[in-house]
Amino acid sequence: MTDGNGWSLEMDAGPIYVQIGVRVREQLACGDLKPGDKLPSARDLAARLSVNPNTVVHAFERLEADGVIETKRGLGTFVREDAPVANMREEILRAAAERYVNDVRRLGVLQGGALAALKEVWDAGKAR
Amino acid sequence: MLARLDNVTKRYVKNEGIRDLTLGFPAGEVVGVLGLNGSGKSTLLKLLAGLLFPTDGAVTVYDAWPRRNRAKLVFLGETDALWPWMTPREAEKFMAGLYSDFDRSRFNELLDALEVPRRKTKSMSRGERGRLRLAMALARNAKLYLLDEPLAGIDLLSREKILSSIVQEWHTDETILLSTHEVAEAEGLFERVIFLKDGRLALDAQAEALRQEGKSVVDAFREVLS
Repeated sequence: MTDGNGWSLEMDAGPIYVQIGVRVREQLACGDLKPGDKLPSARDLAARLSVNPNTVVHAFERLEADGVIETKRGLGTFVREDAPVANMREEILRAAAERYVNDVRRLGVLQGGALAALKEVWDAGKAR
Repeated sequence: MLARLDNVTKRYVKNEGIRDLTLGFPAGEVVGVLGLNGSGKSTLLKLLAGLLFPTDGAVTVYDAWPRRNRAKLVFLGETDALWPWMTPREAEKFMAGLYSDFDRSRFNELLDALEVPRRKTKSMSRGERGRLRLAMALARNAKLYLLDEPLAGIDLLSREKILSSIVQEWHTDETILLSTHEVAEAEGLFERVIFLKDGRLALDAQAEALRQEGKSVVDAFREVLS
């Protein structure tokens, strides 16, 4: 159920159509997908992920309704040129920050300690 | 409904295969038929194929006894009845002679996709024979595909190829019922799952609705059948 190209799915992590939507947004946020790029066809993506083609169609419909992708008749499905990539980056950054803050709050760590730890790990990663 | 069972019971000499089962299958659904050994999965598929006759109740495919609509249904059973001398080429001739809906070019595409070697079945591995049997089944243009344990006893790579071919070949107006023990590998394919326990219906659910509740089909399987 995993795939090397950023499409990995978890069967116990909510509906598959939602997860496919999240994967598309993540790939856009980190630049693996860009506005104007063509997405695989629903059938090919379904075969790659071993999921029902209707599930992928459902995911694509939601992304289209959200203004992320568009279907061009006879050509395929593309990322919209005006896809809100900045918003997606912002949302993913915020979600990651919330996960970190929730984790360290459980330890009873205050803001100063949390930021110091973050900076330390950040700098260590940069030095490598 | 493309196929249905109304209050169906199938009694064997010693035990009951299916007890008072009522189910309907609309066109265009991929259904996982799940349950432990002896839960009635094969009995259900054979009843729908017209290979078994119900003790009580009625089984219909397109509103008729399944055998009258044999041309519209495909049954892939668990038993490997391929002749040892048969090559894929001979299997093609055999199937084309037997079924007018057998699509020879689709069969050859499937042989390539499933990487079936062009040699006699007696020198094929179990996985290769399983892939050949699936190609023979999927190359027909039917409306109802009854696939009984197509993944059983087959290596991981063959199972992946089989699942991916089913996804590629499925037309949205066709109904597939697939029984399997490999719930984790196959669950993404199913829109609907039917759990059987001791011949009775234990759960009939939409797979995405289960996931909405944070459960995988595997989780639901454990919950319902343990």
